[in-house]
Amino acid sequence: MNNAPVQNSMKPGKWIPTTCKMCLHSCNQLVHVTSDGVVNKIEGNPTSPSNNGRLCTKGNSPILRLYDPQRVKTPLKRTNPRKGPNDDPGWVPISWDEALDIVGKELKKTYEEDPRKLLCAINDFQKLYLWAWPAAYGGNGSYFSTVGTFCGAGYHPMNGMIHSTFAAANDPYYCNYWINNGGGDGFSSHLHVTAAANHMAKARVERGMHLVVVEPRLSMGGAKADEWIPIRPATDRQFALGVCQVLVYEGLCDYKSLKRDTNAVYLVGPDGHFVRDDQKRCQIWDPEDNKAKPWDAEDIKDFALEGNYTFNGTKVRPAFQVFKDILADCTPEKMSKITDVPAETIRRIAHEFHAAAQIGSTITIEGRELPFRPAAYNYYRGAQGRKYGTMSNHAFKLVNFLVGSIDAPGGHVGATLDDQICGKGHILPGDCGQILPQPHQLGPGMPFAYPPNTAHLMDYFPIGVNPGHLIAETYFNPDKYGFDWKPDTMLICHSNPLWNMNGPQDKYFQIMREMRFIVAIDILLNESTIWADIVLPTLDYLERWNMTMIEPPDTEGQCLSQPVVKPLYDCKSEEDIFNELSERIGILDVWNEVQNFANGFAQKEELLLKPGIKYGEKEIAERKGLLWNDKPIEWYQEHGHCVTKRRPEIWYRPWDGMRLHFYLDYVLEVRDDLRKKMEEANVPFINEWEWGDYAALPTAVLDPLHQEPPEYDMYAISFKDIQLNFTENLSIPWISDVVYKDPVHMGILINTKTAAARGIEDGDLIEVRSPYGAIKGLAKLTEGVHPETVAVSNALTRWVKYHMVVKPGGGNYNRILPANLKNTCACSGQMETTAKVKVTKLRSKPKDAANAVTDELTN
Amino acid sequence: MPRWGMLFDLKRCIGCNACAVACKQENTTPTGVHFTKTVSEEIGTYPNVTRAYVPLICNHCEDAPCERACPTGATYTREDGIVMVDENKCIGCKACATACPYKNRFVLKKAPIKEGYYTKGNITPFEKQGYVRWVTGTAVKCTFCHERVSEGKEPACAATCPTEARVFGDLDDPNSKIRRLIQARKGYQPHAEFNTRPKVFYVD
Repeated sequence: MNNAPVQNSMKPGKWIPTTCKMCLHSCNQLVHVTSDGVVNKIEGNPTSPSNNGRLCTKGNSPILRLYDPQRVKTPLKRTNPRKGPNDDPGWVPISWDEALDIVGKELKKTYEEDPRKLLCAINDFQKLYLWAWPAAYGGNGSYFSTVGTFCGAGYHPMNGMIHSTFAAANDPYYCNYWINNGGGDGFSSHLHVTAAANHMAKARVERGMHLVVVEPRLSMGGAKADEWIPIRPATDRQFALGVCQVLVYEGLCDYKSLKRDTNAVYLVGPDGHFVRDDQKRCQIWDPEDNKAKPWDAEDIKDFALEGNYTFNGTKVRPAFQVFKDILADCTPEKMSKITDVPAETIRRIAHEFHAAAQIGSTITIEGRELPFRPAAYNYYRGAQGRKYGTMSNHAFKLVNFLVGSIDAPGGHVGATLDDQICGKGHILPGDCGQILPQPHQLGPGMPFAYPPNTAHLMDYFPIGVNPGHLIAETYFNPDKYGFDWKPDTMLICHSNPLWNMNGPQDKYFQIMREMRFIVAIDILLNESTIWADIVLPTLDYLERWNMTMIEPPDTEGQCLSQPVVKPLYDCKSEEDIFNELSERIGILDVWNEVQNFANGFAQKEELLLKPGIKYGEKEIAERKGLLWNDKPIEWYQEHGHCVTKRRPEIWYRPWDGMRLHFYLDYVLEVRDDLRKKMEEANVPFINEWEWGDYAALPTAVLDPLHQEPPEYDMYAISFKDIQLNFTENLSIPWISDVVYKDPVHMGILINTKTAAARGIEDGDLIEVRSPYGAIKGLAKLTEGVHPETVAVSNALTRWVKYHMVVKPGGGNYNRILPANLKNTCACSGQMETTAKVKVTKLRSKPKDAANAVTDELTN
Repeated sequence: MPRWGMLFDLKRCIGCNACAVACKQENTTPTGVHFTKTVSEEIGTYPNVTRAYVPLICNHCEDAPCERACPTGATYTREDGIVMVDENKCIGCKACATACPYKNRFVLKKAPIKEGYYTKGNITPFEKQGYVRWVTGTAVKCTFCHERVSEGKEPACAATCPTEARVFGDLDDPNSKIRRLIQARKGYQPHAEFNTRPKVFYVD
């Protein structure tokens, strides 16, 4: 043996701190670069209290993204005018000057005609300010993407209204009883998954935390749980309401918290709104004095939570009583019929949850005495991605409300998106002692307009997240929706809209085919960007600057990415590309203004971008660091990050002294305002707006998918695991290697007994058809899925052979989902993410499995 | 002199295979070679069902069948217990691979490594800097990241494990974490009936 080291991390070289971008979050890394300038090992940065020196599967794989031979290496120009999923674009490399001039000219033409005609899919989560670029363009940002909508259009605004945050997670440090409902937190997905998996394992193994997982498929979390409760898909809200019913009707609530910390005591009139006195003050009922009083009266002796009263001649009930009346219809027995979870299980879980919550106990953290509620109900996309998105999200929050665990140590705690500046609180005071609901965590809401200014009708979702899929309705029915303009240009940046949009693929193909011009900005080609006229290649994160922090559940700070190697190819940063395009269009000054707003630079005047200057990626990163803690970029280059544990005063009950929105009268106010505007403007489709989606409290009403024709007798769900969390990674050989060896990613999962009853054997080719579309795949028999459910891994469904290591699958799961108003929450924009399907055997164990599942795409 | 071993905490492992990928980036193992990986198995019938995630690695047996089977003495056990292959002595006869009851041996093809991670003939700079360590036609295996261990670091798989399911340490040190876990949680060796005395333990 010679003496030169053979292990990569031991070879001569240097370690450079940076920040991972293999999902949208921001784990801190150390990158080893050899003395020959090759990146040969990436590890977690042990100084980070977030990922603690550890990395997930994806975080271990960036080297193969950097050195992927299929990266776009120069700007590309299309030579084949025919556009389709199987058409070779006939790329030819061109210079940056030529590419930027072409794109600038085309975007300027659209800009001068009508900027609304630009459809955007800008989805780089680590450079969120790019999402705001359409605001500079003036088009209000018509979406051709459902990023943010899928995971939650219902989820994010609800967190904004309840916690004033973008996301939420259970507190892993104190929680003793953790319910995970349709979410991968701590195991397979969502917030800072490496950190969350570390905390979850420690809580379970070192503290004995009890974990209950409620979901149709035995996920990683289900496999590790103390109890897996299989549930019929799309009935999670009803499960939560069954738990609430037991807590409320058996008197198992934190009444002190409900009275002190929430608006559950405010009196509700027959119209569903809070009743108010002549000074617009909300009212409570004082049972001691037996009369209504303003919420802030000094002589309140007690607050009534229950009962029926009269105020100014009107029948009124405390909001809590309104919920109790709804729950009368939500007994475990009734919810059991809907959810297929035994009534005794629902009742037992409620009792266990209540017992674990230790209502009445307190804990002192850094000198502050706080309620100690170590029981928390966490949930995510699988549970809340419903037509009744707002109601679903609210139901899960209410389980936590009832035991007082919202934002309590051990409870269900809000997670901000990006605090931007150290010391800025995220809570603002609102009406009548309540916190200010802040549903728009990604940017300002869209003002009402008729005719609509956005192709996806965002003008009519004052609370929601952009329902990009509605373009499938509006584009083909412009008269019905009052459009006097039509999109004809598209900008795609780090997105794969043909992949992420739910519903009719042929319609999306047609939209893309009819675009006058498409520009794509990305590092690799994908199913959508192969339709582009010009592709502008971006740098890999190991070649560029950035400063970010995205929805950390229990940490805060900023994380630097810095170039660890010189760019391998002729690529540019997103900042350079948007600056050049903005200059050519003539909107550079506006773009700088928009960035000042989006990045929060306006909070420190000296950081403001000035007109006429093109600020590069390093300058933006430096400003974001300075904004956070006044540290120069050199400090960040040395340390890589300034991540600390989230300070208890901004994590636990940052709203102390204010009231939380147990009852969402705010939602009804928004509904009334929208309805009034739609009526005044004579909006012709007003009758299709389902006002019941705007609910102050959730009910057990079934989501419309359950009413599909009876021949669709099964449910289809999709799932991702930690190797596929958020962004695309199957193009990385190491990832596809481990994924395609894992049984759950090797076929469409179907329950063994269900399969037997239908004559389906392991490896048979099956079709999964909904009223909206169909996919094909090989059956994979399992005991780990609800008998009425087929479960489709995201890894199975790639459909274009654009990349040499990605296996084509049997069509995109999203194709079997509807993309219409009927299945879209009129309040939040959330689309339905579960489908009713019929499952048919096509062929027994085909020998040419790979070809058999490859979808025949029509051109 | 320590006696190195590894423990897998099956209660912690979530089967993410970050370990498998960390090993590949640390060691530049060619396509198809996994010194470590995690497999899964479904247990039970619906609804009383769970899934076990089981990490696998060379067990660095005290009484290593691969070492006994090796005709040239290429396979040897270091003083610290790590079972190694001297590629200069290895003739690629595959006796070790046949002898290993755990199937944790790999034998490289005799032809130079041309099959890149992406496609034939397309070797990335990462592979180029890493493949020089391999002598084609020889047997290869997990070395417990012996170079990292010499510098006081954990093996790459243990260092990255998000759930800290892999515990590396000195089996002769009664105060080491691995020893304490084996005692406290009744650690057991994989297929102890093979009588190879693995230095790898599992706890449930």
